[in-house]
Amino acid sequence: MEPLTRMAQRKRRGRFSGLSVYLWILPSLLLIVAIIFVPVFELFRTSFSEVTRSGLVKGWNDFQNYLDLFREENLLLVLRNTLVWTVVVVGVATVLSMGIALLLNRRFFGRRVVRSVIIFPWATSLIITASVWKWIFDYNYGTLNLILKFFHLIGANVYWLAQPSSSFPVLLWAGIFDTIPFTTIVILAGLQSIPDVLYESADIDGAGGYRKFAHITLPMLKQPLTVCTVLNIIYVFNSFPIIWTITRGDPLNQTDTVVTYLYKLAFQVNKMGQAASISVLSFLFLLFFSILYVTLTQERKK
Amino acid sequence: MMDMLKRRILHVLKYLGALLILGVFSFPYLIMILTSLKNRTEIFAIPPTFFPKVWQFQNFVDMWAKVPLAQYMSNSFVIATCATSITLVCAIPAAYALARMKFRGLNAYMYLVLVTQMFSPIVLLVGLFRVMGWFGLVDTIAGLIIVNAAFNQAFAVWILKGYFSTIPYELEQSAWIDGCNRVQGLFRVLLPLSAPGLITALIFVFIAAWNEFTFALTIISTEAYKPLTVGIYAFFGKYDVQWQYLFAVSIVATVPVIALFLGIEKHLASGLTSGAVKE
Repeated sequence: MEPLTRMAQRKRRGRFSGLSVYLWILPSLLLIVAIIFVPVFELFRTSFSEVTRSGLVKGWNDFQNYLDLFREENLLLVLRNTLVWTVVVVGVATVLSMGIALLLNRRFFGRRVVRSVIIFPWATSLIITASVWKWIFDYNYGTLNLILKFFHLIGANVYWLAQPSSSFPVLLWAGIFDTIPFTTIVILAGLQSIPDVLYESADIDGAGGYRKFAHITLPMLKQPLTVCTVLNIIYVFNSFPIIWTITRGDPLNQTDTVVTYLYKLAFQVNKMGQAASISVLSFLFLLFFSILYVTLTQERKK
Repeated sequence: MMDMLKRRILHVLKYLGALLILGVFSFPYLIMILTSLKNRTEIFAIPPTFFPKVWQFQNFVDMWAKVPLAQYMSNSFVIATCATSITLVCAIPAAYALARMKFRGLNAYMYLVLVTQMFSPIVLLVGLFRVMGWFGLVDTIAGLIIVNAAFNQAFAVWILKGYFSTIPYELEQSAWIDGCNRVQGLFRVLLPLSAPGLITALIFVFIAAWNEFTFALTIISTEAYKPLTVGIYAFFGKYDVQWQYLFAVSIVATVPVIALFLGIEKHLASGLTSGAVKE
C-alpha cells in the first residue's frame, strides 16, 4: 500500500475517530435492535408471564407456561418430527447437492441451462413450489398418480396426503427440493476454488477418481460444507410455508414441526404463553447454532 | 482400450445425470404451466390429463377478475421496493464503516449483524407481533416493510462490506485530496465502483421481501393490504381450489423474480455465507 498522504491520514485518524463514526452504523443498529432484539426481549418476557385470553401480559408466573407446554400431549411427537425434518432434509439435500455440484463442475453441453434450472426453487416463493407439490400429490387429480398408473406401477390411486406415513415423506421431499439450490451453489463455489494443481499432481502419482475425491476434494470442501450445513440446519428448522401449505401439520399435529406448532398455539388456539415458551426454547437452540456459525466463519479469517 | 471405454461410459453418465437433474427440477414448473392452461372441467377430470386438451390461455386474462391480482401485485411491489430502500439506506453506511474504519464496538456490531442473519420472523413471531402492536403496525403495509428491511439487513451489510473491501482505499483518498469529504467520496467513488455488489444486495432483498409469506400471513388480515404470497395462499381457503388460476397467478408472480435472480446468482454464495466461501 502506498503511504497515506498527510491529509488523508488526518481525515482517517483525526476527524473521524470521534463519536461521529458511530453515526455510520446508527441507522442499521437502530433497525436491528428495534425490529429484532426488542421482539426477542418481549418474547422472553411473555414466556415468563401470565397472558390473559385477550393477550394482556401480566406478571411473572413461575414458569407456568413452560410447565403447561411440557404437559401438551403432542409435544414429544412435534419434537420428533422436527428432528426428523431437520436431519433428513439437510442430510439428504447435502448429499444430493454434492453430486449435482460435482457434475456441474465439469464441462458439458447445456451446463448453463442445468445451472439455471436448479436455481428455480430458490427464486420462487416457497408457497408457490409447495402448492405445486400439493397438486402433484393430489389423490384424484394429481400428476403423480397419473404417471404411476400410466406405467402400471400402482393399480389404484394412492392417498399421498391423507395419512402421515406418506404425507410426511412428501413434505421431506418438498423440503429437500427447496434446500438443494442454495447448497449446490455453495458447494460449487467451493469446488471452483480448489486449485487444479492439486489434481494434476495427484494424476502424476496415479491416484484414481475415488482417492482424488477422498483426499483432495472432500478436505478442501470442509469449510463450505460446514458453513452450509449449519446455515441449512437453521433455515430448515425455521421453514414454515412448505408444511403449512401442504398439510398444515394435520391430521392432529401428526405432521407438525416446532414452527407450525407454535403458530397454531399462538394464533389458532390462543395459548400465547405456551407459544412464547416453545419459541424461547427454539430461539436458544438456534442461537447455539448461530454462535457455532460465527465461530466457524471467523476462525478461517484469522 | 479399457480407458477409452471407461471414458465413454463416464461421458454418457454425465449427460444422463444432467438430464435427470433437468427433468426433476423443471417438473413442478412444467406442471404449473400446464395446469394453468387447462379449463375447469379438465382440472377436475377423472382420469386427469397431462397436457391440456384445450389450451385455455384465457385463464391469464380471467385471473385478473377472479382475485384482486393488481392489488396484490402493487402491494408486493410497494413492500419489496420500500423494504429494499430502507435496507440499503441503513446498510450502506454500516458496511462502509465496517470496511473502512476501526473503532471500539465494531466487532460487537459485526457479530450482532451476523447473528441476526440466523433469526427468522417465525421463531420471534410472538414477540414481533406484540412489538408491532405497540407501534400500531399490525395489519399495515408499513409493518411488513420494516420487518422485511430488518431481517435482510445482515445479508446487505455483509455483501456490501465484501465489495467495499475489494476496492482500493487510495481511490477515495485521492478524492479527499481533491476536496471531497467522506460522504462525497462514498457516493462519487466507492458506490459506482461497487455497482455489482449493490445490485446483488438490491435484487436479493427485493426478492426476499417479494416472496416473504409467514410474517405477512400473521399480521395482515385486511384484503386490501395482502401481498401476493398471502393472496395465493387464500386460494386454499375456498371450498374448491381453483388450481388453474392459482398457478396462473403464481407464474405471473414468479417469472420476473426468476429473471432477476439468474442475474445475481453467481454473487450469492459469497454474500449468504458471509465470506466463509472463497469469493
